Amino acid sequence: MEPLIDVKASPMECTSLSTSAPIWQDILAQAMTGELLAAMNYASLSEICDDPAEVADALEHAQGERGHAAAFAAEGIKIGVDVPSNVDAKHWKRLRDAFLRCIAERDFIGCLIVQEIMLESFAVASYSRVGKVAPGSLGKTFARIAAEEEDHVDHAMSILRAERALAAQRFDDKVYRLHLEVMTTLAQMLAKECKDGHCEVCHASCVKPRLFDVSLSAAELRGASLRQYLRTLDMLGIPGEVTLSWVTQLPV
Amino acid sequence: MGDSVACVARRGPASEVDFALIGHQESWRAAADVLAVLRGPERTPLPDDEIKDLLPWIPPRAVCHLNVGSIVGAKARGLYIDSFIPPDRLEAAYVHENIARVRGAAACAINTGAKIVSLGGFSSILIEGNFDQLPERHDTAFTTGNTLTVAFIVQGIKKLCALEGRNLQRSTLLIVGATGDVGSGCAHCLAPMVKRVLLSARNVERLRRLAAELQAQGVQVEIATSLQRFSAEADLVICAASLASPSLLLGQIAPGALVCDAGYPKNLSPRAELLGATVFFGGLGQITGGLRFAPDFHGILNRHPFPDVVHGCLLEGMALALEGRFEPFSQGRGSITRERVEEMEAIAARHGICLAPLYNADGPVEDGPHGQTEKQPMQETAGQKWIRE
Ligand SMILES: NC(=O)c1ccc[n+]([C@@H]2O[C@H](COP(=O)([O-])OP(=O)(O)OC[C@H]3O[C@@H](n4cnc5c(N)ncnc54)[C@H](OP(=O)(O)O)[C@@H]3O)[C@@H](O)[C@H]2O)c1
Ligand SMILES: [Fe+2]
Ligand SMILES: [Fe+2]
Repeated sequence: MEPLIDVKASPMECTSLSTSAPIWQDILAQAMTGELLAAMNYASLSEICDDPAEVADALEHAQGERGHAAAFAAEGIKIGVDVPSNVDAKHWKRLRDAFLRCIAERDFIGCLIVQEIMLESFAVASYSRVGKVAPGSLGKTFARIAAEEEDHVDHAMSILRAERALAAQRFDDKVYRLHLEVMTTLAQMLAKECKDGHCEVCHASCVKPRLFDVSLSAAELRGASLRQYLRTLDMLGIPGEVTLSWVTQLPV
Repeated sequence: MGDSVACVARRGPASEVDFALIGHQESWRAAADVLAVLRGPERTPLPDDEIKDLLPWIPPRAVCHLNVGSIVGAKARGLYIDSFIPPDRLEAAYVHENIARVRGAAACAINTGAKIVSLGGFSSILIEGNFDQLPERHDTAFTTGNTLTVAFIVQGIKKLCALEGRNLQRSTLLIVGATGDVGSGCAHCLAPMVKRVLLSARNVERLRRLAAELQAQGVQVEIATSLQRFSAEADLVICAASLASPSLLLGQIAPGALVCDAGYPKNLSPRAELLGATVFFGGLGQITGGLRFAPDFHGILNRHPFPDVVHGCLLEGMALALEGRFEPFSQGRGSITRERVEEMEAIAARHGICLAPLYNADGPVEDGPHGQTEKQPMQETAGQKWIRE
């Protein structure tokens, strides 16, 4: 199998981040796993596209996500840590499986909803928060990638809006069905405490309680992600009172 | 899809909305109850710490649909929009964040095509003087709802005076938060009917200006920024200060005083010692032509011990919608006059929106058919139970 990412960085920026480095390592590992999963999702998407332009688009996206993963790996090297990834970790695997079910049904719109509306909301919001507190180039990289992910969402938005205009109720029902699958998993992943064992990405015990040491918190990352998700659903035109009840029904 | 969600989603185009009500929750208990309804009875309610962590992240949005009826047959459809201002973040420190939330809620109202929007509780306080900061709107009018609030405060005071056999003309009226929109509206309505008016707020210049206006009408007025200076003589009290939490101690007032707490959140601190006073929560009205919530937020969004009771500020938007008068009836701090109050009262009354039964933290104040009132129990303090909730 060809390597998923191509790391180009040298450990020049190894700094005095020694105490917080293990925390950044876990944050980077989660981010890198998400990027690799996104790359896999776009690669799968390219296989169900009929239009050559859409195929090219999906492959370009996949390449972009691999670039993001490489950038995160490079940031790890700069602070002297190895950034592992695990797309088979339990939550991430369930997210991938949900996407693959859309692929199996050749449901292009479903794929966009899962990747662009749900997973990217989480990426944009959490990277932005990390970007605000992470030092130096680490912070800049998170902020830059957050902005690029936002562009992905914008791109999908016009396609999804047009789809909703055709049959709003059918579209909303589909979003809700995917929400139950994907957002429930994301909510479990983002819960303030991991109640169902190790996430299989963090290198030692769960990083969540230690996020306070780098001015972050699990509650904040979850809150920001859900807010981003609600705003994205608002942009799609799904009634706010409907999406509010969806979100309040998620597990905590 | 869950039943309640499907039913709301299929309600039809949002442009069929006549009015929108913008509000926020007064306490974490109230917020928890709202989220519990949204979560549905089959799920365990969210723990308090999760609610406090989640709510601040919710962007302003509609929570439920409302249908209101008039006793003359008119009907209006509306939406309740929550700005999701966290109940413990009403202080000045959060003003910019809160203005942004109210603007967001206003944008929701405009997007739904609501023709009239009531700005409940702190929403109007945050936006008053900054109406130009609201998103661009064409066919949506905003009202603070304070004229009908003043009407119900004044009606409540008069009713309780009548029940207690008090002579309004011999009373000394203290208004806390006197220079505010609600406070000054109450002053304009009641000052000519009482013996003496005591005005209190923090800014002395504004107090002086209001006092001068009233004195020009022949009213006997005193002002003070410290209640201790003159509250002992007050036998009628209206609390209408924009306090972020129930923190008003009030100090000494006349024995057996009648006290209207019109704040949202309530003004009176649980520690306020109002022994022998009769306290009621003011500014509340009741809809007699029918009120329906979908999903059913009855008693949750309007937490009162009587059915179909709603704050005056929100009722004003409903009354204007039933009347088909889609205009910014109340706007501009300090412009509520007696004539405008009478006009709004008449509109509301025409549609069966009238003064709510008087009550306080311990329950109904009007007791039985003879209208005997309950005194504040000697050991209990005003607002205590309310706060405990
Ligand atoms: N019951 C209802 O249906 C209803 C409807 C609408 C509004 N309300 C409530 O009524 C209250 C007043 O609303 P509004 O629109 O009149 O507000 P407003 O125009 O902002 O006026 C607030 C008044 O309170 C005074 N004040 C503020 N902080 C104070 C403090 N710490 N001590 C003493 N006075 C203080 C202000 O004067 P200084 O700044 O000079 O002190 C001003 O006189 C709010 O709680 C609001 O939520 C209730
Ligand atoms: Fe990415
Ligand atoms: Fe992406």
